[in-house]
Amino acid sequence: MHEMALMGGVFEAITSTLAQYEVKKVNLVKLKIGKLTNAEPDALQMAFEAYAKGTICEGAQLQIELVPVKARCKSCQAEFDVDELAFVCPVCEGLGVEIIQGEELLLESLEVEQ
Amino acid sequence: MSLQREIPVMANLLQSNDFQAEINRKHFQKHNCLTINLIGSPGAGKTTLLERTIAVLKSKHNLAVIEGDIFTSKDAERIAQHDIPVVQINTGGGCHLDSKMVEKVLPQFQWDNLDLMIIENVGNLVCPADFDLGEDFKVVVLSVVEGDDKPSKYPVIFRNSKVAVLNKMDLLGLVETDLGVMKEDILKINPEIKIFEVSCRTGEGLEDWTNWLDDQVRKTKERGA
Repeated sequence: MHEMALMGGVFEAITSTLAQYEVKKVNLVKLKIGKLTNAEPDALQMAFEAYAKGTICEGAQLQIELVPVKARCKSCQAEFDVDELAFVCPVCEGLGVEIIQGEELLLESLEVEQ
Repeated sequence: MSLQREIPVMANLLQSNDFQAEINRKHFQKHNCLTINLIGSPGAGKTTLLERTIAVLKSKHNLAVIEGDIFTSKDAERIAQHDIPVVQINTGGGCHLDSKMVEKVLPQFQWDNLDLMIIENVGNLVCPADFDLGEDFKVVVLSVVEGDDKPSKYPVIFRNSKVAVLNKMDLLGLVETDLGVMKEDILKINPEIKIFEVSCRTGEGLEDWTNWLDDQVRKTKERGA
């Protein structure tokens, strides 16, 4: 259940962001979660509710966008979707690939009432 | 009248962990100490691999260990018998070590003469994979008796590790595991990973692992010389 620790990161970022705005209520919290992470959406939801209780975020909706894995070949520079977790370039069959998408653990934005 | 608006944030949820991990990394580098993060499920053989490794490398380098455990100090007691510095971190229910827990225990070691720091993470193939501790690289320990489907079920740790040690090779004939499938899946997820097949019980294959690690420690030492 390291989702509790990740949600700690969400609320740290929410607190420092809201310090700069006059906000009555948070309606929506949007996260971007890469598929190549171990963050589980249901566990994030539970952790969110636990953290939100008694705060300006209580009752807010948590929206989680799951980001598919994409990679770039280090030899031929081709960009491709990584299906079934095979990290091999479909163009030149190169094995050296860098992940360009799918490792995100991000708080993207907040929808608030001012 | 209330006004609705969207505030863009784009904050990394691991921001504070990653920030501290970089500070830890600089600390290890400043002391030319190779630091590895040992990860695997409970019972994969992390502590036994650690003990076998210490027995071989202790005479060549100055080693130390940070032991992560949820409640007990059983592993730290095992390591202390090898007469090397060891510090226990109890996470008190937490499923992984984070970079701040590691930072807190760093002052307990004599850094001027350390060559290799091995951090044994909490037994868990999932959560520790996301948390950078500032190590040079991660080593995943998987015992062959856990089944050949484990790499594809837990890909993140195999993708994020530089080395996979496949332990309990002596038991391979007693289980259904297809070693070919296990290795093929690991290489599919991470074609650059280095795989060692060992048995910590019989000693089979351990020399390849300790020779390789010895080499990595030497390179780190030379970098600072």
